[in-house]
Amino acid sequence: MLEIIDLHANIEDKEILKGLTLKINKGEVHSIMGPNGSGKSTLASILAGKEDYEITKGDILFNGESIMEMAPEERAQEGIFLAFQYPIEIPGVTNSYFLREALNSIRKSKGDKPLKPVEFVKIAKEKIKDLKMDESLLNRSLNEGFSGGEKKRNEILQMSILNPCMSILDETDSGLDIDALQIVANGVNANRGDDKSFLVITHYQRLLNYIVPDFVHVLIEGRIVKSGDKSLALELESKGYSWLEN
Amino acid sequence: MENFKKNIKDNFEDFYSQNTSSDVLNNFRKNSFASLNSLGLPSLKDEDWRFTDLNDFYKSTFKHRIQDNKKFDSALIPESLNFSDVTFVYLYNGKLSHFDSTENVKIEDLESYVSSLDSNEFEEIINGHSEKNKDFTFEMNSSFLKDGVYIEVEKNIKLKKPIVIINYYDSEASFVCHRNVINFQDLSKGQIVEYTFSIDDISFLSNKATCFLLGNSTNVEHLSVDESNKSSYILSNLKISQKKDSNFTTDTILTGGKLYRNNVHPVLNGEGSNSNILGLYLSKDNQHMDNYMFVEHIKPNCDSRQLYKGILKDTSKGVFHGRILVHNEAQKTDAKQTNRNLLLSEKAQVDTKPQLEIYADDVKCTHGATTGQIDNEALYYLRARGINLEDAKLIMIRSFTEELLEFISSNFILDLHKSFVEKWFLNSQLAKSE
Repeated sequence: MLEIIDLHANIEDKEILKGLTLKINKGEVHSIMGPNGSGKSTLASILAGKEDYEITKGDILFNGESIMEMAPEERAQEGIFLAFQYPIEIPGVTNSYFLREALNSIRKSKGDKPLKPVEFVKIAKEKIKDLKMDESLLNRSLNEGFSGGEKKRNEILQMSILNPCMSILDETDSGLDIDALQIVANGVNANRGDDKSFLVITHYQRLLNYIVPDFVHVLIEGRIVKSGDKSLALELESKGYSWLEN
Repeated sequence: MENFKKNIKDNFEDFYSQNTSSDVLNNFRKNSFASLNSLGLPSLKDEDWRFTDLNDFYKSTFKHRIQDNKKFDSALIPESLNFSDVTFVYLYNGKLSHFDSTENVKIEDLESYVSSLDSNEFEEIINGHSEKNKDFTFEMNSSFLKDGVYIEVEKNIKLKKPIVIINYYDSEASFVCHRNVINFQDLSKGQIVEYTFSIDDISFLSNKATCFLLGNSTNVEHLSVDESNKSSYILSNLKISQKKDSNFTTDTILTGGKLYRNNVHPVLNGEGSNSNILGLYLSKDNQHMDNYMFVEHIKPNCDSRQLYKGILKDTSKGVFHGRILVHNEAQKTDAKQTNRNLLLSEKAQVDTKPQLEIYADDVKCTHGATTGQIDNEALYYLRARGINLEDAKLIMIRSFTEELLEFISSNFILDLHKSFVEKWFLNSQLAKSE
């Protein structure tokens, strides 16, 4: 589904990714772990199409096609979703309006009819219930005044409403207490399926107790230095990253 | 400048000699013109005009409108104002054309009403507004006082239908001067909308004024929308005199004019009164919109909230001058001023200047101003959810205006506000701006 080939990327002339290669097949859950500054969030942003990076080498294929020239919205319409590490607050735009615009933009790109407000609210309310959130959030401004945990749950809510086939979670676990972590993990697990893939970026093994990955990769200084199964995460938890650094 | 001075003088002499009215009115005109002369015409050196260059304007010549009695064709008003349950008042090139009559409300041509006043009444209804903050635009309006409408809402009356004043200009190179005086007697309540527009491709000078007299415990909401063409010069004044426990909200939407001077002057002249002063200036091409706020707190325990927002495109320019004057008697004043600007082009420009003068010691007075562009992080976030760049920009621009809506309680005004703002968005190809 997603294939990253020898990716090199700079930000302001500083090389962050130095030849990253990764292949994620349909239905697989991959996790990327790594210390601060290893390039985890850069990778997430590049996959979503953020324009602040300069790609100097390599390619990213999604369902066999390069997405390098695609705008963020085109990638989202194709089914790539990034749960942001730091979701943006937008005063004056309600969650409900934002989510309906987003869902209808994606539907439009597929040739589906836009949903009417009533139809949308019905879907949204079901998903909100699943995530144990309050319905009133629909009428609140997007992420404005949300606690850290609420923002993260709101990202997962967006994910479950937009129903992407490739979800990238960028440190969705940071700042969550154990209850919120379980709710978020349940939300993710409810979206798993044979045609859905996940890339879970995290610092800590903790989240992976709930979202069990098929593969774990260690990213250090812009390269994947080791890959393994879920037991690698446990090993990292006890030994840290230093044994993998040069 | 000399050319313009002469132009105004010639117009005034013609006007004064041809329009003899009551002594009170004649004297008022003559004194106002003398005051206009002694004030002189402003230049960039004047603190109150330092961001607005009038030199180009001074080169134009205008002819004070010759009175005729053409009837306004109400088919000209835009669809968004096509209501059956409002009271319409039509002004044609400043002159009252016709109106719907409604119970408990006096609607009359300004000059004919004013001519019937004795000097005390005149002082209260007309001259009460002229005392403070002498400004050439208002003195000029007073010098040519004649056209416009007088509206009086009787005591205790709650207007069942909003009053919608339509203001239409279609006369090339004309100098149109008119004033609407709107008098809400004690305990009355209602909504007033003023909609100003013109035919395209003519240049004219509109020197208009709207003066509210708000009695004790009145409750009034006002919306003023100006869509005059982009070749016009507009020198506008909005003055509000508020008595005890009166509540007033005014919301201005400016999209018109080549050069627009928007003077707003609320006077909180009765204890416990409250004024919300909202505005949205939407400029593009080479439009210049200068908003001069002068909020005057005279009596204690009054609140004022100013929230003015600008969206500026292309090479347009905006000015926000926010003056608050708290007199020494006005203890427990709570005055807040906010100006926010969204620049949609590298070449758009805005100058913003607060000016607080506080002579009482127990007051709360705050001001704040911001100027910025659409937040790229927010755009990226919206796009990452599948929303196209153009739509994402429009969502951000729309959200910028949203804060104003919180102050408007009348659904009628709220819906009109939204529809005029959306109309400007639609006509301005915002998403395509650089």
